[in-house]
Amino acid sequence: MTDYKYVILVSMGEITLKGLNRGRFEARLTRNIKSAISTFGRFHIFQRQSRIWIEDLYSEQPVLDDSEVAGQIMRAVSKVFGIVSVSLVRKFTGDMDNIREMAIRFIEDRLKEQPFESFKFETKRGDKSFPLLSPEVSSELGGKVLERFPELRVDVNAPELVVFVEIRDAFYIYADKIYAHRGLPVGSSGKGLLMLSGGIDSPVAGYMMASRGMEIDAVYYHSFPYTSDQAKQKVVDLAKIISQYCGPIHLNIVNFTEIQKHLYQNSPQDMLTITMRRIMIRIAEKIALQSHCKAIITGESLGQVASQTIDAISLTNEVTSMPIFRPLIGVDKDYAVQIAREIGTFETSILPYEDCCTVFVAKHPQTKPQRKHMEHAERFLDIDDLVSQGLEGIERILIE
Amino acid sequence: MPEIAQLIETHLSSYCAFGNPGSLHRLGVSAMESYSNSRRRVASVLGAQSEEIIFTSGGTESINFAIRGYLEANPRKGKHVISTRTEHKATLAVLDYLSNHGHEVTYIGVDSAGEPNWLEVESAIRPDTALLTFTHVNNETGAILPVSKLVDIRNRINRSAVIHLDCVQSLGKLPLRPSKDGVELVSMSGHKIHAVKGVGAIYIKSGIRMQPLIIGGGQQGGLRSGTESTFLAEAFALALEKSYEQSDAAYLKLTHIHNDVSSVIQSFGGVILSPENGSKYILNAALPMFEAETLLHALEEHDIFISTVSACASKNKKASHVLAAMGIDKSLSRSAVRISFSRFSQAEDIEQINKALGEAIKRYAL
Repeated sequence: MTDYKYVILVSMGEITLKGLNRGRFEARLTRNIKSAISTFGRFHIFQRQSRIWIEDLYSEQPVLDDSEVAGQIMRAVSKVFGIVSVSLVRKFTGDMDNIREMAIRFIEDRLKEQPFESFKFETKRGDKSFPLLSPEVSSELGGKVLERFPELRVDVNAPELVVFVEIRDAFYIYADKIYAHRGLPVGSSGKGLLMLSGGIDSPVAGYMMASRGMEIDAVYYHSFPYTSDQAKQKVVDLAKIISQYCGPIHLNIVNFTEIQKHLYQNSPQDMLTITMRRIMIRIAEKIALQSHCKAIITGESLGQVASQTIDAISLTNEVTSMPIFRPLIGVDKDYAVQIAREIGTFETSILPYEDCCTVFVAKHPQTKPQRKHMEHAERFLDIDDLVSQGLEGIERILIE
Repeated sequence: MPEIAQLIETHLSSYCAFGNPGSLHRLGVSAMESYSNSRRRVASVLGAQSEEIIFTSGGTESINFAIRGYLEANPRKGKHVISTRTEHKATLAVLDYLSNHGHEVTYIGVDSAGEPNWLEVESAIRPDTALLTFTHVNNETGAILPVSKLVDIRNRINRSAVIHLDCVQSLGKLPLRPSKDGVELVSMSGHKIHAVKGVGAIYIKSGIRMQPLIIGGGQQGGLRSGTESTFLAEAFALALEKSYEQSDAAYLKLTHIHNDVSSVIQSFGGVILSPENGSKYILNAALPMFEAETLLHALEEHDIFISTVSACASKNKKASHVLAAMGIDKSLSRSAVRISFSRFSQAEDIEQINKALGEAIKRYAL
């Protein structure tokens, strides 16, 4: 009987389109996969022919033979950005006879798990010296399977089971693919500072930028006792959830109580939100520079609330020369909710601890603020002093 | 309460307490004796017969059982229920459920002190009124219901209507003798008298037919199935006895503390929302310079733990329905907090509250 072992096949997406930089992206992706599965054991992770392979480092104690653990590993890998799909694959060597035998065994095992009626084989030939062409291999295997299981039928258009056979340095056979989140490997596009609140949008914004390869740090403005410690814990929990995709996150918790109180007492009610946003961005910029972030990321969506109108956003932008990435700017709330559900942040985001106490929200905030309003609102504020107050006593938590 | 902790520890570590009161062997028999004894002790404190006491998991279950259990077992008594707008959510939710299932509920308004409008009660009672369900001491404001007034009116207009009292806040604090007071159903909770969370009781006047909420092995005369917990029952009994032993002294002490804390709050510009003649165990007040939750967190820094409205409903973030019914303005009720005292409160607590409030105002008032 042909001997085989289980390995994990990772298909890469967009990276394979990269030119001269491709090696750098692949190396980063390999590193990210390694850190995502480090808790499961030791693995040999390597890249060959546009694919990444994960094999047990110690073949005498194979972790991947345990289908439950292999499933957990695949799910962890599928959360790494830069991947199209992940599959558990049987790897073996030999010649066409071995491939035939393995194909029949594979079908036999699948029938035991779940009955099906139609199937097809799809062959890829990386080793062009192999004597048969890909379609020839597929049809040969299909024929052999039908001889052994006459109740089955081949359906090339809509089969219930597609069995993939790859002929490379060795032979590989598999059927299921866990589809992953695509994008680019985190760390391949620099680092951004996410303004994380307890709401639905900001974790999604962080996830979206991470999917474009950004490493993420985060900042949260805490106003105890106006906002509770539960609200802060909620932000920590959200950061934990998105770190599954983004990798480790440094969360900066700014003590915002005094600043917020000062703003409340010294600037006009209708401009309170925007004055506050401007201070937050100024503090964020300073934190970003200190932690080598090259952009600020927010969950703003055009027109969603008063501080997110085009006029308010323009005035907020003015306080920094750093790019502010707003991946949700043109996105409908329903769509943001849908992503939040998919990535698992939604249930935490809707817990009833408010991220910004209602006392600081004006009843009728200015939705079309102009520069003269802003100048008027900030005229009694010692901005530099408020910013340095914010930078003092930041609590920094590493979340991974 | 150390006695309760001791009692539970003894129970959990003792071989004898392992028995299931339903078992026929001697361990079971001794467990049943202990359970029956707890029930007798509770009955004795309330001037009731021991068959009239059923242990439950707490106030909410007792209230659910009292209202639904009575109405479902006595469909011919009518489908009309009378209550007030200031009940606890445990009652309001049950009434809401019933009104969606064929019952009619009349809600009585209250005055600015939280007392029901008696003329409304009189005119609401009809021949088909099956149940009047009222709270003895309001959980948010401490307003005390003059039970005798309610009983008199019922006796005068429709004697066959049954009265259920939610006594979760009054048990162990105000005198309570259901049969003498003239009420048929009483709901009680253990944790409000320093027993533990997870135990409560209901008084059901003998002769009143009830439909059980929980059916199964037929424990507690078939009225509340589920293996009897000997240590919870005993904890409840002990806590109840202790509460009443000390209730007079506690009342005197708390009258001072309640008054002094009220003065402290007023000296900081606060408004007392509790009625003057209310329970001394509950003080509802508003400091308009704070949102209730801000003050809650600010005092938490000083290890003073207060509540915004009722703790059970506080996560809903809605203004208090009780204060709204008393005609308190929304701008004031958004600042309303509830300070609870117990017989373990000390005169020193007053100074601590004074200091903490002073600091909170200095640091966080807007």
